[in-house]
Amino acid sequence: MFDAVIRNLPFLMGGFRVTLQLTLFALAGGILLGAIVGLARISRNRWIYQPVTIYVNFLRNMPLILVIFWFYFVMPVFIGRPLNPFLSAVISFIIFEATYFGEIFRAGYQSISRDLINAAYSTGLTYTQTARYVLIPIAFRRMLPSLITQSIVTFQDTSLAFVIGLQELVRRTSIVDNLEVRSIELFSFVALVFFVFCFIGSKISHHFEEKGRQTGIL
Amino acid sequence: MIEIHNVSKWFGDFRVLTDVNEMIDRGRTVVICGPSGSGKSTLLRCVNGLEPYQEGEIIVDGISLSDSRTNLYSLRRKIGMVFQRFELYPHMPVLRNITLAPMKVLKKSKKEAEKKAMELLERVGIKEKVDAYPANLSGGQQQRVAIARSLAMEPSYMLFDEPTSALDPEMINEVLDVMIDLAKSGMTMIVVTHEMGFAREVADEIIFMDEGRIVERGTDEDFFKNPKSDRTKAFLSQILV
Repeated sequence: MFDAVIRNLPFLMGGFRVTLQLTLFALAGGILLGAIVGLARISRNRWIYQPVTIYVNFLRNMPLILVIFWFYFVMPVFIGRPLNPFLSAVISFIIFEATYFGEIFRAGYQSISRDLINAAYSTGLTYTQTARYVLIPIAFRRMLPSLITQSIVTFQDTSLAFVIGLQELVRRTSIVDNLEVRSIELFSFVALVFFVFCFIGSKISHHFEEKGRQTGIL
Repeated sequence: MIEIHNVSKWFGDFRVLTDVNEMIDRGRTVVICGPSGSGKSTLLRCVNGLEPYQEGEIIVDGISLSDSRTNLYSLRRKIGMVFQRFELYPHMPVLRNITLAPMKVLKKSKKEAEKKAMELLERVGIKEKVDAYPANLSGGQQQRVAIARSLAMEPSYMLFDEPTSALDPEMINEVLDVMIDLAKSGMTMIVVTHEMGFAREVADEIIFMDEGRIVERGTDEDFFKNPKSDRTKAFLSQILV
């Protein structure tokens, strides 16, 4: 029954590799930028707080698919040549996901007591050092379950990059479907792949939640 | 030397400090007591620039904190601070809690920083806890690690913000003993505390604050025997029971 899948497996898996690569870059960039966005969102300096808050609120009220589209078609106007779809998708995902990761980090930072930060300052650490060695690692650990959940969402969202022609898993499946006309099997297969990966992810998230509760280190 | 000249501070419309004056010479220990909300902790945070003040001036070793050219980060290297709730880094073992600032701020090598950390842990009597995480230590042990963490920067001054008030009674002395040792070794200290036994033993001066003002000050003997203001008398009668 799944012969259409098996026949095209190398082609489909090539698409899945693109999905994974896009996820990886989006997460690395999104989490890193998110950690900084979160810091800006608790900044007392209005020149930092205001612009970043506008950026976060704007993108969080925007459908991701529109951001992907917009970036792909607007950027060439500025740089004078068309963007490679993969690069365009990676950048769109990073700036979009960073707003979500940023809000998770902000909640993490706000759970850290003012005096813990004062303690770091009183040993002579600078703002950047305090952020790097104290704030970000603590927020990261405390918010790990939420970060994993958002990472799963990001993984699922990568399929939206098909709108700019990126040949990730869903796009390639639809290409195969156009030739084979076996929609049910093909898309069931894709659904299964996504489900398995997301399910494993949610189990990992659950594990860290439990572990965090038990050790009480944070 | 720490000089506090006519310092006033407001939180919005609320005046938390009013014309505070104080001079602390090297090697002296000053104890600040007073009811909660009297501005003691706020004054302490002003001394190492963790809180800004709106009037007056604080000068540490000739450097004014309110001067915009003053680099507060580097000034804080010589002013250690210990907090009521310890505030150890929860994600790092004891050793790393102590070596972080010496390595990142003073650029000491790992080996050098760890050697110093071990000496300090020995001094505060918890060498065996070097690899433990803060959550696995008792309050008294955490506070001693916090003191070691401050001392690792080899500060000229130490500020203590109610260092024993979050501790169970049986752990208070292990922390006070370390502080008494420190005071006797010549460290310059400002200690906000209600531990009058500690004040009697090591304080060169005791200050009583109420509603943001210094109401009374004295050397230990006359502070306890002849308090001048009624407010001080009432306060002492409460805590000395």
